[in-house]
Amino acid sequence: MTTTTNGYTWIGKDIKRREDPALLTGSAEYTNDVKLPGMLYAAVLRSPYAHARIVSIDTSAAKKLPGVHAVLTGSESTEIIDPLPAFCAEPVVERAIAVDKVRYAGEAVVAVAAESRYIAEDALELVEIEWEPLPPVIDLLAAMEPDAPKVHENLESNVVYNQVFTFGDVNGDFARADHIIKRHLRWPRATAAPMEPNGAVCKYDPASGHMDVWSNTNMLNFVGWLIATTLKLPPHMVNFYPMYTGGSFGSKHVISKVVAIAGALSKVTGRPVKFMEDRIDNLTANDSQGPDRIYDAELAITKDGKFLSLRVHTIDDYGAYFMFAITGNTNMMSQISGPYTIGTVETGIRAVLTNKNQQGVFRGAGSDVGNWVLERLVDAAAEELGMDGIELRRKNMIQPDQFPYKMPTGNFYDSGNYPAVLNMALEHADLAYWREEQARGRQQGRYIGIGLATCQQRSTYSATEFWFHNPGPATGLTSAPESVRIGVGPTGGFTVTMFSPFWGNSPETVVSQIIGEEFGVDPATVSVTYDSTAHGLPGAGPGGSRMTVMLSGAMRGAAAKVKDKMYKIASHLLEASPEDMEIRDGSVWVKGTDRSLSIGDIGFKAYWFKLDLPVDMESGLEGSFTYDHPFTTPPSDDRKDLGAFYPIMGHAVHIPIVEVDINTGQVTFLKYVAVHDVGTVVNPRSLQGQIRGGIAQGIGVALYEEVQYSPEGQNLTATMNDYLVPTVAEVPKVEVYHHETPSPFTAYGVKGGGEGGRMVAPAAVTSAVEDALKPLGIKIDEMPITSEKIVHWVSQAQIQPS
Amino acid sequence: MKPPKFRYFAPKSVGEALALLAEHADEGRVLAGGQSLVPLMNMRLVHPDVLIDINGISELSFIEATNGGLAIGALTRDSTLTSDRTVAERLSVLSEAAHCVGHPAIRNRSTVGGSIAHADPAAELPAVMVALNAEIVARSRSGSRTISAQDFFKGYLTTDLKDGELLTEVRIPGLPPRSGSAFVEFSRREGDYALAGVAAVVTLQEDGTIVDARLGLCSVGPAPVRPQNAEALLRGQRPGNEAWTAAATAVASVIDEPLSDIHGSADYRRHLAGVLTKQALAGAAERAERNR
Amino acid sequence: MQEEDFVTIRLSVNGEIHRLVVEPRRLLADVLRDDLGYTGTNLGCEHGACGSCTVLVDGQSVRSCLMFAVQANGREVMTVEGLAQNGVMHPLQQAFWEKQGLQCGFCTPGFLMTAYELLQHNSNPSEEEIQDALSGNICRCTGYQHIIEAVQSAAQSMASSASVSSGTGA
Repeated sequence: MTTTTNGYTWIGKDIKRREDPALLTGSAEYTNDVKLPGMLYAAVLRSPYAHARIVSIDTSAAKKLPGVHAVLTGSESTEIIDPLPAFCAEPVVERAIAVDKVRYAGEAVVAVAAESRYIAEDALELVEIEWEPLPPVIDLLAAMEPDAPKVHENLESNVVYNQVFTFGDVNGDFARADHIIKRHLRWPRATAAPMEPNGAVCKYDPASGHMDVWSNTNMLNFVGWLIATTLKLPPHMVNFYPMYTGGSFGSKHVISKVVAIAGALSKVTGRPVKFMEDRIDNLTANDSQGPDRIYDAELAITKDGKFLSLRVHTIDDYGAYFMFAITGNTNMMSQISGPYTIGTVETGIRAVLTNKNQQGVFRGAGSDVGNWVLERLVDAAAEELGMDGIELRRKNMIQPDQFPYKMPTGNFYDSGNYPAVLNMALEHADLAYWREEQARGRQQGRYIGIGLATCQQRSTYSATEFWFHNPGPATGLTSAPESVRIGVGPTGGFTVTMFSPFWGNSPETVVSQIIGEEFGVDPATVSVTYDSTAHGLPGAGPGGSRMTVMLSGAMRGAAAKVKDKMYKIASHLLEASPEDMEIRDGSVWVKGTDRSLSIGDIGFKAYWFKLDLPVDMESGLEGSFTYDHPFTTPPSDDRKDLGAFYPIMGHAVHIPIVEVDINTGQVTFLKYVAVHDVGTVVNPRSLQGQIRGGIAQGIGVALYEEVQYSPEGQNLTATMNDYLVPTVAEVPKVEVYHHETPSPFTAYGVKGGGEGGRMVAPAAVTSAVEDALKPLGIKIDEMPITSEKIVHWVSQAQIQPS
Repeated sequence: MKPPKFRYFAPKSVGEALALLAEHADEGRVLAGGQSLVPLMNMRLVHPDVLIDINGISELSFIEATNGGLAIGALTRDSTLTSDRTVAERLSVLSEAAHCVGHPAIRNRSTVGGSIAHADPAAELPAVMVALNAEIVARSRSGSRTISAQDFFKGYLTTDLKDGELLTEVRIPGLPPRSGSAFVEFSRREGDYALAGVAAVVTLQEDGTIVDARLGLCSVGPAPVRPQNAEALLRGQRPGNEAWTAAATAVASVIDEPLSDIHGSADYRRHLAGVLTKQALAGAAERAERNR
Repeated sequence: MQEEDFVTIRLSVNGEIHRLVVEPRRLLADVLRDDLGYTGTNLGCEHGACGSCTVLVDGQSVRSCLMFAVQANGREVMTVEGLAQNGVMHPLQQAFWEKQGLQCGFCTPGFLMTAYELLQHNSNPSEEEIQDALSGNICRCTGYQHIIEAVQSAAQSMASSASVSSGTGA
């Protein structure tokens, strides 16, 4: 349901996705479908210990097994591959195959290449390892103790990062506040668990020194060169093919480990090698688990309910390695004050290493956590003041005339209309009815809860958040571009080439809709291809809800180049001036006349009729464009102002209504309303799908999902029976509505919306369950809110009624 | 996650199967539905040297009406139990319980015999068999014997089946007149392993009081629990919340070794057992009342 | 009783008969994908929990990661590649396309085969029946709503074309 008719022809239309036929008929090629002549299959032996020294490895029996071509230990691998890429400044070194010691249960210690995955796993069973177990550090707080065993001996302590950022006079604001709302909160470790695990096929050609890589890794064009250096190959000699990917949600960013293992084995065997993670590999060792945080958070408010200032201090369990540094925390700084006019902010971040798989980025990338923390504070403030939560939020919302809005950390919110989104949600939620139901229910011993969350959903990251948490002059990377190439053939057919992979988002559909918009042709006639990095242009790939914005910008830029040439050709042939030309319905017209040339005619001329073209014009008709972030500014040297790094800012309101069975602890959804504002919407149905999927994942972390480790560091959620993602029965029918406040900075005013569902749902669901249990005085400061926890809290509350 | 090597046999008759079981007693496993065994093999948690695939033995697949009850062949699929009319008419608690087994594709393969012989503590059918006073028929090369369900389940994944024996059928007596039955379970997500499950059978007198009650619980111990103390308590009582609450308390008191894992602690499972006992008894009594 | 290291089997897949020699431990999923090239069926977990690998064997949905290929000897297997006929997508595929019942597509073949089985037995399933049938298929992308709508839409279009072809308009 779109609220604005935006004046576009194709943008905003619910057209069928062009990605779907190949996916529906099973002909789409995922990484595991790649089969090359002579290809070998890899498997990896993983550490049973969370922390141990490798005393010796005997691979002799494994090597002798018929069908085995190579067996590689970590030490043997050091001649072939270097440590994995990492974005951290700290000297935390990770190798694809562990050398000397292992730092989490599931870390790879031996890799095998064999004629089948079956034989490779047979070989792994023949490897003998002598271990010296070391005391594991599993508890985050224990890891911080000065005498805690060190995860990395070369580091001074397991506290690998410890900084406080202050934006404005926080102390002053806290001093003058009438109330300080405090909450101690726990966000659980979750993991993306896409249906397709990570994988890579690497084919090394010793003669040319060239390697081809088919992998569902992302950021091939952005940081692919880093993976090449791990492979000890010149970056321009490594060619990555963007692959159809079976979901990522952030977990496939820079998955260098699978590439390094397959690549190393290919170099050793001289054959193509496929390494596909299986599900246990993926759940234990995917290098991309989510935030795992303790928060002490405070909101300073006046007695009338005005929010003055925010203090948010966290201790974050990063696991054994630190590939993305604290991007999960810097990300949060883009919208830490939410949609509210909070004036000053202080945030303290302590990153701790433990013997667990490391964190990566998982849909929301830390801003999901920030939303949850802030809304918990707002709910508590409403309770403390005896104010209605809706009115309290309204009172503090940034108003529509205040944009672009500079928020305390220095980031900007480009545009928004938060009151309108809230009103739309309230209109559909029918709260008058549900409040009556709730009251009636309470008489009957039923526990119905109405939740509310009004949250930001930033999109389109700039690269500064990868490094601005390090002190020093502001000279880090500032570019995260995306490119496209539009080609028009001699018969007028359009081809769009992209250089980043398909993840389940709809890039092919988006670009073909834009061709339709720009050139007046039917999107279904557009051909869309992908190209590998050897022939390609820069592209950072999907993530941070950036693709729609970046592709739109790139497409607009490329379309402008193509149109410019079309106008020059057409005006030359029609004896008019290029300024007098316009494009409409698949032809180029002299404005105000009936003189035109079809795109087909123009294409034909462009390729075959050089002498009919303007002098000095090259033959051909195509345009490439590399689009950089439309609005990013560097941080100040003192980091009191982080600059604009995530200014394309969407917003959403969720109102879930739940019923809690206090006998079993089961939470059932009675209704769920979600209103999202992500600017101009290109394909409403496709965006709705993303929102629903994100909400399912948000419900997951709120009620079901948690990566759990035993006190000895064993991963207890290593299968899909133990790591519980929502099935159809756990996800309600969500009523999704769109509101559109276009961005002033992007092509067509689009904003990214891929992460929003998961960024808001946890806050909303927690709010609903807490509201349901309000008569029992239960406060919810942690997730997942499992049925067992609810039963426990209820029984505690009934013993000591508050 | 690929399985290790094994030698494979696919007997076509019970006789062939028994001969193979005798020959490969300690190194062989029976492959029926495979929905429990194959995941363990894929994860290389078990390495059977020999697999005896009994799926081709059609004589093991049957549902027969007996004197008011049922005789069910070991190879009968759970999906058949959920759809068979005779089962629904005579022992609907079986269909209800079978419906809780995993998901449709699992039930298309999983078998009655497999579920009982594997004896996973969370399995529904063993608990139902115990509540229904079923008898399990095991055959070997040396003959056949019948074991009561109560005596069959020994402990965690352990039954009374000896090496060389094949579970071939279960025989379940019919329910007396004025009886009703119900099965309820609670799991984290739809179709997950139950955190607790209760099968209840209630038989009423003509005056509406309870003459007999039987209960079987899964997931609250290494083997199905049959709380005879609760059953004794219920006899002579009037159906209603008071009776159910008393029974639930009695049930909780005999759960002395409940399972405990990341999905449910022992305390929580014991609590759920009480809650579900009440629900199951109420459901069974309501159906018994309709049959009065 | 004979036993061998390798077993010769005859599998019919989407109506085409294949003769293969396989190790008994080879899973049906791997034989379909690697030996016969039907890569539409995907492996999401290899322990039966996710449903991505669901195919039909003799018309019944099964987890192809939990069945050995030798067990499918002499049987008819249907994979997602068998749904479209002569290049025309099956109404289920059409409906999924129409309703955007997929995003990354990895779980989709499993959902299609499960839904196909449902509609063979129940031409007018209620929403609850659809949910029940699909409860064993995990999707991490869609949040399921568009999938349910797709199955409902397919049921409708299959029912109406069935009544047209059986002339029940009269």
